[in-house]
Amino acid sequence: MEANVNPLAVILVYFDSKGDRLLYRYPYQTLGQAKTASEDQRKSRKRNPFAVTHVDDLLQTPSQVVASQSGQGQLQGFADDVLSALFAVKPQLCNQKFELKLNDVRFVSHPTLIPHKEQGSRTGAGTGTSSTIAANPSKKQQMLINIVFALNAQASYSIVKCYHELSKRLGLALKFEEQSSGYLTEQTAQMARTHDEQQQQPLEDTLALIAERCTLAQSLRSIFHDLSNTGLLSTSLNHNLTLCFCLPAKAHQLHKKGSMVDPETIDRCLRALKPYHGMLLLVDFAELLDCVPPTGARMLWQLVDAYNPLISLQSMASKADLSIEHVYKLVSHLVYWAKATIIYPLCETNVYVIAPDAPLHTKSHLVEKFSTRFAGMSLFEVISDFSLPTSIGHLTTPLQQPARQGILAQMVIWMLQHHLLMQLHTYVQFMPSEDEFGDSASASCSQQLRDGPSDEEQEQDADVDQDELHDGSMLSMYSQPLPVPVSSVSISIGGLHRREASEEQSSLASDNIAVQPSSSHKSNFSITASMSTDNCDSLDSIEDEQKLKELLQVFSEPDRAAIRRIPASSNVDDLSLLVKLYQMGYFKSEHHLEEIMYFENLRRSQLLQLLDKFRDVLIIYETEDPAIASMYNTK
Amino acid sequence: MHSHTNEATATSTSGGGGGGTAGGTGAAGGFAATGTSGGGSTEGKIRCIFLSEFHATAGCKISCQVPENYISKDVFDAINVYIIPKQHLQRCILTVNAMDVKIVGYPVGIQDQQKYPRNAFLFNLCFVCDSRARSVQYEPVVKKLSEYLIMMEEESCFLSREDDKRRLQNIFETVLRDLNERKVATIVEGDNTIYLKIVMHKPDPPPVKDHMVPLLLANLRDAPLDNWDLTTQQILPYINGINHVARIAAEADVETDLVKSCIQNLVYYGVVQLLPILKYSNVYMTQNLKHLIQSAALSGACRTYVALRPDKTLPSVQRIFQFYASMTHGVTLRAICQRLCPQQHNIDERRMVIFGLQHRFIRCIHKYPVFTGSVPSGRQKMYTGLISFDEICCKTGLSPCTIERDIEKDTNVTVIWK
Repeated sequence: MEANVNPLAVILVYFDSKGDRLLYRYPYQTLGQAKTASEDQRKSRKRNPFAVTHVDDLLQTPSQVVASQSGQGQLQGFADDVLSALFAVKPQLCNQKFELKLNDVRFVSHPTLIPHKEQGSRTGAGTGTSSTIAANPSKKQQMLINIVFALNAQASYSIVKCYHELSKRLGLALKFEEQSSGYLTEQTAQMARTHDEQQQQPLEDTLALIAERCTLAQSLRSIFHDLSNTGLLSTSLNHNLTLCFCLPAKAHQLHKKGSMVDPETIDRCLRALKPYHGMLLLVDFAELLDCVPPTGARMLWQLVDAYNPLISLQSMASKADLSIEHVYKLVSHLVYWAKATIIYPLCETNVYVIAPDAPLHTKSHLVEKFSTRFAGMSLFEVISDFSLPTSIGHLTTPLQQPARQGILAQMVIWMLQHHLLMQLHTYVQFMPSEDEFGDSASASCSQQLRDGPSDEEQEQDADVDQDELHDGSMLSMYSQPLPVPVSSVSISIGGLHRREASEEQSSLASDNIAVQPSSSHKSNFSITASMSTDNCDSLDSIEDEQKLKELLQVFSEPDRAAIRRIPASSNVDDLSLLVKLYQMGYFKSEHHLEEIMYFENLRRSQLLQLLDKFRDVLIIYETEDPAIASMYNTK
Repeated sequence: MHSHTNEATATSTSGGGGGGTAGGTGAAGGFAATGTSGGGSTEGKIRCIFLSEFHATAGCKISCQVPENYISKDVFDAINVYIIPKQHLQRCILTVNAMDVKIVGYPVGIQDQQKYPRNAFLFNLCFVCDSRARSVQYEPVVKKLSEYLIMMEEESCFLSREDDKRRLQNIFETVLRDLNERKVATIVEGDNTIYLKIVMHKPDPPPVKDHMVPLLLANLRDAPLDNWDLTTQQILPYINGINHVARIAAEADVETDLVKSCIQNLVYYGVVQLLPILKYSNVYMTQNLKHLIQSAALSGACRTYVALRPDKTLPSVQRIFQFYASMTHGVTLRAICQRLCPQQHNIDERRMVIFGLQHRFIRCIHKYPVFTGSVPSGRQKMYTGLISFDEICCKTGLSPCTIERDIEKDTNVTVIWK
């Protein structure tokens, strides 16, 4: 897997009116020779000496076996002129992706047409007309530069795409350097001259000599090395232009062996970036700078100054005096370059658990690394606490000294940096149980028994139904948990007939208070208000009922019935919050509690209370944040 | 045993392809949730098939193309260097991806001083795909079809005779249609019969271990048993999603290693999926549970699958969701069953777990004992953190309780759940 990421070779092909030429390539041994080692491995893997070659294969294509062998041989000895002829593409194919696969090798490039720098144009730039005249003939004098990366044919689409991007950027950079100083003309001429001089010498020596003489060749060589070693490169062309590039599939392996993080996964993670997310740096501050060109470093420093894994991106943005969009961009950049990872800001309530792919075993180098970082602590001892979902708050008690909590936080950060831990979030799904009619029927039955004669109640209901209150009447008795003020209110509303009914209701309500102990503080408040001004409150209660009715309209009929069975649904505040969150789509397993808290400006206790009140229609469960988890589950 | 490791199956249909065919149908009939994304590339169809040749006077040209003009003249002119390349690139699979098309070709040159005006006949049979599509699977097919054409050309100048393009056109049309629709094509042309088959090349599945439980994904009981090799026929009845590999081997009276490689073969063809062994002491964790609700087809399939008694009313999605949602670290399946009594709601909890694992709503949280002392002895050597509890039980042949007690007593052993 890992071998597919590394380049096999980098080739520089040049083509102009005089013809095509392979100017430089690295490594120097001819293509395919490097592969003989892997070829041997492949053969040795075929351990069984008695394995029969597939007879079908031989019969159908007598020449096939031979052909592939000789094909292999040709590739090994692929003369440079063949390669240069292949990569000196026609002008129609320039400035776009070019990919060629020959047997086991895939060549990727972005052929770039670059106009020669007109020697006189700089001097003639003073007068606009003369420069355009001078530029016109120079347009025809274009050269084609093709920086080709040879890869293993099994390299995945996203890896190929990355290499193409690199070739494209190199082409652009060279175009720029050519236009500003004629760099490319000079370098290519020198390479060609060296080739001509050294015709008698072995090719490998010539190429080595070119690398000594030409800075462009040196750059290509260092690019090849960087790509093979770290996947991160920062090369300056012509001692002037700095080219930064990251091969994520390779770079992310530095922090986590064996993981293949392709750019698509990172993009998916970054698209899900929200202001409440936090960032966790994976490297030292000093290592951060090599991923940005010097010109872009200022903003990064601003951000790094404000960096703290305990705060959200938004706080970081305000602390660093950057807009959140800028912070997103910087963070995305750091994540792409495997310098940082996205977390939810560290806090006591965060629940962590061991990541499913955590490389935890006795031979792991992390064990030693951990005990050097935290003297005397055993990684296994510490992390086994997270076998069950645990928060920092749970692991510490107020009785301990505060330093202990600090160390624990440091350890959690360390384990997050090494992808050993994963955070769990709580998600909510709105799901009234349809088949609970049996249960609820029995429940309401028992309630009716408790509440007294049901016939009478139904009569009363029928009575009230005739009024404009019809839907809300059942609710009204829940909305007023205290009996005394209700009766007084009712008197003022209706006549004698109504009063009887409401007295009945109030007595029911008084029973009900035992059934539903959870009445919000807000309703209590309204009641005390109602004691003082009866008339005013009576209007309120009508309004409340109206409001409850309206709120319930949001739900479909069966859902509405299920909600109405919940005592808290008669509380306007509770219900309106529920409806609001429901309408915002927070109860579709898409948003975790922290997100709801952030966007709706709620406190955790508030939200948890609400969820608890409506637990009959909500299913609450713990799972990982899919955006962040996509960076984990790469197994 | 592992016919997939041999590329020959890619082109052979005449013999030994029975397992492959059955595997193909099995994968097609199974639930499509097991597919792994190919990192941005897609499985593409063949868009066009053409034959290009080097004409004695006109030079490079497309002499036959299905459908007509899929590759325009402009595109062809830009890339014809790669279609009819220089001699030393002949008989290599050469794929060029430029100008938004991906062309897989196998350039061929037939030397014959008598027959051809230029002493050689150069041609290339090419398959065209979308530029983002994967094309590796077509390479053997292109090669094989080319070999047929070479043979026919050598025998009867099938390609170089001008009047024969109509017949070639027919061949291409059939190949294009049949390969795209059925992945198999058989064409009778004169005395020759052309057999083509596309076989997807997948990486080898990981080795099968004793404690794993194979689950048949498609209903293969409908497929005739004699399509399979003898060992598979023997073990197939014991694959039920409950029995683990060691047990299957014992019950079917087949050597364990044979069973393992057999099952690995089935995994390769996507017929079988490997699950962790089901125990009531297992702990499961949800992941992507929302898909269960968001996809009506999936929730429907789930309801029928998990029903304890299919004749009674199916369990509701709510119940099922609630059941899955209660799975989390630290909660054993036993505890959930005691709390929710799934059987009262016509839910078979075992099938529920299997369905969840199969569609990846849940994953099993395995238990790994880790030895933290200095020198491990005896069974402690197995406590490396790499071998799960199930595997240790299977290897030692001891009951989970024994191992559990053993670990409990040993202060040098820490247990990690992940």
